Amino acid sequence: MTEPRWRRPHTRKFRSRLIAALVVGALGAVVAAGALAQGVGKSSLIGKLEGPEVVTDSAKFPKTLKEAPQLAALVKAGKLPPVAERVGQDPLVIKPLHEIGKYGGTWRGGFTGPADFWNGYRCCSGPDHLLFWDYTGDKVTPNIAKGYEMQDGGRTLVLQLRRGMKWSDGKPFTADDFVFWFEDIYRNKDLVPTPAAAMAINGKQGEVQKVDTYTVKFKFPEPYYLLPDVLAGSTQIGGHAQQGLNGMGGYAPAHYLKQFHPKYLGQAELDKKVKEEKFDSWVRMFLFKNDWAKNSDLPVVTPWKTVTPSNTPTWTLERNPYSVFVDPEGNQLPYIDRVVLTLAENLEVINLRAIAGEYDFQQRHLDLGKLPVFIENQAKGAYKVHLDPGDYGGDMIIKFNLSYEADPEIAKWMNTADFRRALAIGIDRDQINETFWLGTGTPSSVVPADSNKYNPGPQYRKMWATLDVKKANEMLDKIGLAKKDAEGYRQRTDGKGRLRIEIMTLGGQFLQFTQIAEMIREQWKKIGIDLVVQEVERSLAIQRTIANEQQLAAWNNDGSEHLFTFPTHVFPFDLIAVVATSGPLYAKWFQSAGTQGKEPPPRLKELMEKFKKAYGVPEKERIALGKEVWKIAAEEVFIIGVIGIGPASMGVRVVKTNMGNIPSRQYNSPDGKTPTISRPVTFFYKK
Amino acid sequence: MLTFIGRRVVLAIFTVWAISVLAFAIIQLPPGDYVTSYIAQMATMGSVVTDEEAQNLRIQYGLGRPIYVQYYKWVKLIAQGDFGMSMEWRRPVTEVIGERLWLTVVVSVAALILTWALALPIGVYSAVRQYSVGDYLATFVGFIGLAVPNFLLALVLLYLGFVLFNAHIGGLFSPEFNDAPWSWARVWDLLKHLPIPALILGLAGMAQQIRIMRANLLDELRKPYVVTARSKGLPEPRVITKYPVRVALNPFASTIGYTLPYIVSGSIIVSLVLGLPTVGPLLLKALIAQDMFLAGTIVLLLGVMTVIGTLVSDVLLVWIDPRIRLEET
Amino acid sequence: MAVAPEQRVFVASQWQLTWWRFRKHRVAVASAVVVAGFYLAVLGADFLAYADPNASEAQRGLMPPQRVYWFDDGKFGPYVHGVKGVRDPQTFKRVYRTDPSQKIPLRFFAQGFEYRFLGMIPTTRHLIGVGGSLDATKTIFLLGTDVQGRDLWSRLMYGTRISLTIGLLGVTMSLVLGVVLGGLSGFYGGIVDTLIQRTIEILRSIPTIPLWMGLAAALPREWSILQVYFAITIIISMLGWTELARVVRGRFLAMREEDFVVSARLVGCSQMRTIFVHMVPSFTSHIIAATTLALPAMIISETALSFLGLGLRPPAISWGVLLQQAQNVQTVAISPWLMLPAVPVIIAVMAFNFLGDGLRDAADPYGR
Repeated sequence: MTEPRWRRPHTRKFRSRLIAALVVGALGAVVAAGALAQGVGKSSLIGKLEGPEVVTDSAKFPKTLKEAPQLAALVKAGKLPPVAERVGQDPLVIKPLHEIGKYGGTWRGGFTGPADFWNGYRCCSGPDHLLFWDYTGDKVTPNIAKGYEMQDGGRTLVLQLRRGMKWSDGKPFTADDFVFWFEDIYRNKDLVPTPAAAMAINGKQGEVQKVDTYTVKFKFPEPYYLLPDVLAGSTQIGGHAQQGLNGMGGYAPAHYLKQFHPKYLGQAELDKKVKEEKFDSWVRMFLFKNDWAKNSDLPVVTPWKTVTPSNTPTWTLERNPYSVFVDPEGNQLPYIDRVVLTLAENLEVINLRAIAGEYDFQQRHLDLGKLPVFIENQAKGAYKVHLDPGDYGGDMIIKFNLSYEADPEIAKWMNTADFRRALAIGIDRDQINETFWLGTGTPSSVVPADSNKYNPGPQYRKMWATLDVKKANEMLDKIGLAKKDAEGYRQRTDGKGRLRIEIMTLGGQFLQFTQIAEMIREQWKKIGIDLVVQEVERSLAIQRTIANEQQLAAWNNDGSEHLFTFPTHVFPFDLIAVVATSGPLYAKWFQSAGTQGKEPPPRLKELMEKFKKAYGVPEKERIALGKEVWKIAAEEVFIIGVIGIGPASMGVRVVKTNMGNIPSRQYNSPDGKTPTISRPVTFFYKK
Repeated sequence: MLTFIGRRVVLAIFTVWAISVLAFAIIQLPPGDYVTSYIAQMATMGSVVTDEEAQNLRIQYGLGRPIYVQYYKWVKLIAQGDFGMSMEWRRPVTEVIGERLWLTVVVSVAALILTWALALPIGVYSAVRQYSVGDYLATFVGFIGLAVPNFLLALVLLYLGFVLFNAHIGGLFSPEFNDAPWSWARVWDLLKHLPIPALILGLAGMAQQIRIMRANLLDELRKPYVVTARSKGLPEPRVITKYPVRVALNPFASTIGYTLPYIVSGSIIVSLVLGLPTVGPLLLKALIAQDMFLAGTIVLLLGVMTVIGTLVSDVLLVWIDPRIRLEET
Repeated sequence: MAVAPEQRVFVASQWQLTWWRFRKHRVAVASAVVVAGFYLAVLGADFLAYADPNASEAQRGLMPPQRVYWFDDGKFGPYVHGVKGVRDPQTFKRVYRTDPSQKIPLRFFAQGFEYRFLGMIPTTRHLIGVGGSLDATKTIFLLGTDVQGRDLWSRLMYGTRISLTIGLLGVTMSLVLGVVLGGLSGFYGGIVDTLIQRTIEILRSIPTIPLWMGLAAALPREWSILQVYFAITIIISMLGWTELARVVRGRFLAMREEDFVVSARLVGCSQMRTIFVHMVPSFTSHIIAATTLALPAMIISETALSFLGLGLRPPAISWGVLLQQAQNVQTVAISPWLMLPAVPVIIAVMAFNFLGDGLRDAADPYGR
């Protein structure tokens, strides 16, 4: 019953020793972590922008074609037509960055599940846009279409297709696939209830017509000079792989999809099929069948095609034997046989696998905050770390909801230019850059990189983007917010106490918006602004945005380097701009050409008008208008730019050292679908 | 006995029904529905879902209808043995869960075996040498497993595995075995990946088991028959192992039924950190995406497992110790 | 002392017996001290902290814990060395170098940021400090700093306050629910018992995480941190009461048949008197023990909820929030001190467990 006396001191000593050991152990690890590692400097992490080129001069086209050994074996066995027949007369020739590659190998990467579509899409879709960007992201070049010509004062775009080109099942790829898409998918009200903005100019819808087997035209009632850019960009007519699942894309495999369409199969037969395959409706089934990532039977024109779909634990893609891509020596591309993306249940696992060298080329989901760990393990993992800063001005931006109505006082201030400007210069960007970008970003307004063709001039980089607490305080005092409470926060003018502003952030993104917002909250204390940080779930963010309940929101403006094809984060353009909008009522007004929503204030209206006008004018005029748009955006601070031209959003790249034709820096952009803009078809394994 | 079992079965069926209602309600609780999260997903892909399209989708998925209608439809499907289609994965729920369910059971059983392999001897030792240094040390170690936040422990072990042993990161298979058909090589690969998850999960449950074993055995050791055995001059190890340990094990054996489902639901967080292909991470994702049929099925499945486990335990207990029957009625 | 020591036991009250028995369980006594220490820290979090837990500074981000030198020239005079940090352009790590020539003396009861002690007395005194400086080169970081350069020790103090009060509040609520429902169940039996027992079984059959997610996601997000804090406490306790209810019911069932209860009834005590004078006293200590044993689960639940992004969120500070921010590869690899908040979690969970064990043993003074 009683405890023997002699045991007590031992026990006590033991306990305290164990606890001490625990603490000491933790501290010891700290010391060990201080070990130095020899890595590479910042300059070698951010290299020179480079990439392969599309050869358009048919004189330089290869005379004979070669193919991967396993395809050659199939040809020999009579299971596949010869390569020349498969590729056709007009191959899409790509000159690799450094050298002609070797066939073979499996590209290993990671993805997070069926919702992570962009992961496989960005690596392996080719792309299959009709037109696409060159590696600088600046110029539109022919892609799946062999050539294009603007006619009729910008009203008609004529596209030449490649003769003898095939879908991945060997069926010809012709103008009929465009007509089928336009007539039977796009114009079918069940499949596409709302017409695409990309298919309209000034609110007037265009048409797709067949000229002959290998020629199609996109015809519009008014000049649409921007159309080539729209076809090259991430728009609703930006290719089959990306947009098929929405019934968009510009073309679709008619011969395959007809069997799921009521017009060709008959409603009764179709209903039977829907029931057999357990779909909720024929629309669901049709769109599923046209999903590049989920339906492995779907004929495609991408260089790799899905073998095991993205809704299984391993998303596998294999070379498309009918790929139209070739190198200048006539080798059918891609060089790499297979792409295997393994499901990782969470982002830390993806990052740790990249650190361990289990991936060959991974860019998406890699976290800039882990850069030191990536660098430390370069030798062990046999990979090299590259940083690809984007050309957009905001790895992080703060959007004001300009059409906010729930609280008139806050709405009033958010619509006061000097209020927005004062908040913008109340941010200490150097602190944020050092903490969250490890010094790799650039404190910046919202404008894109100086090299961008729409950049309005170097003086706009720092406009309302440099810390000036004194000036910010003066400005806020002057506009009528001089009264402060005991803790130094500014008071509302309607007598309802402290002026509290809410910022909505999303967790689990490429960047830790919540933590950055916390830091800004501390910084804004010095200008007497009380910021409330609200981290929300994505669906909730969408709901609040739709309901016009959001005040400020943190996000990035990646894509805005292509002002006209990705304007979502420049001004209130879409109703649902990812999760945040700078004014849903104004966006509605803009989208409905003034019939719905609320009329925006003069400067914003001016910006919108210039933007709209630019779609219908030739490039030179468009560039001038684009500069104007950015000027207004920077001067009015509709959106605060925090840190830009940085690598935080998919700009950390880990590549195995045995891979060839890897650019030292890529154009990092959603429109460029990086790394697609570097043409992964030319990547290969040296050994 | 039969009436007793009959009564418990009826009660269990009632419980399962209540769980299905509750599971359905929980999934409906958060704001929005699958379409909202679909819109969010599409928005990140650069396409915009308009109000009309959203409405269309809701009709197609049957989300627009009142909750009780949706519930009725769901239950009717299940009654037919069809668990519906996962909205996010666009595959039948049974297919999505598929192998994951068995891997979950494998991990849980491994954890359970490890727990017992460690907890039983330690519990016996602690009871026999009550209040000794060893007793305290054992209890201390047991509690460490309980007290260390297991998500952090999992991450640290994952990292150390890479740094020290160059182990494959996370998961239950090496990449080459991910989709491979079952073979001895694959089983061996699975076994190689089991220790870390089993250890983390096993440690967490150990404290409880040590405690039960120790208390049971202490009770037993004070009984007259043990004293008699000792006084008859039986050697001490025999005194302890012959009857007391066996008796102390009885209630233990009967907990097997509900310990397993507990470990399964306790493993969700650890599975997520370690990236295990079990139902845990799937459930979390389904809940976040509000993928109703998938989340509902998993919750229901875990619930049913617990109910059956409890039922089996109860019956087992009555079987072993008829005195309980009196109390129950 | 008229009574001989051996005879004390016969005249002692039950509470005295419990206390004597508890005193013998040394580990439990030590745990009680630890627990008391934790709650002192809860009360005096702002006194123990020496820096504003939200004050960030990029130039001191990810600073490792500083070594404290206790003796200066053989005399007691604690100090730390000045530290200077830069980002290494090669490794992209922040590297800190101590400057041995610079001694920053530590002062006790030093001036710091202003707060209200115990929520009432405004003061600027803190247990330790260096004179209220927030200059990156002239201050102390006992446990280092996080990514944003916020002092981990001070954050830990505030986190302790939140996490342990959540635990206490949650347990109190569980207790009320558990005692009332368990009591009803045990005392009345019959249909009430069946109903409550079924509810418990159903609640325990559903995996906790979906329950948490459903409940936590249903909270209105425009709620302030304080409101969310209370809501989360309620959520945790709504799932935590079942175990307590079982214990209470079990005690009721066991005691109904005890001799002293039966005899109390036989001599004509009223029902109320039977319950409150005879049953409850022998019962309270059990409840206290069960409550103590329930606390660790509350603490662990709080951290798990934060890990899932459902619990408290930054800018609130709690153990869960601190651990959630340490839940990444770079912390394990290059700034492991950020995992230190796990240490108080471990110590608290163990202390509560040992204390609960001790109390439980002691609660049964005639047992064994």
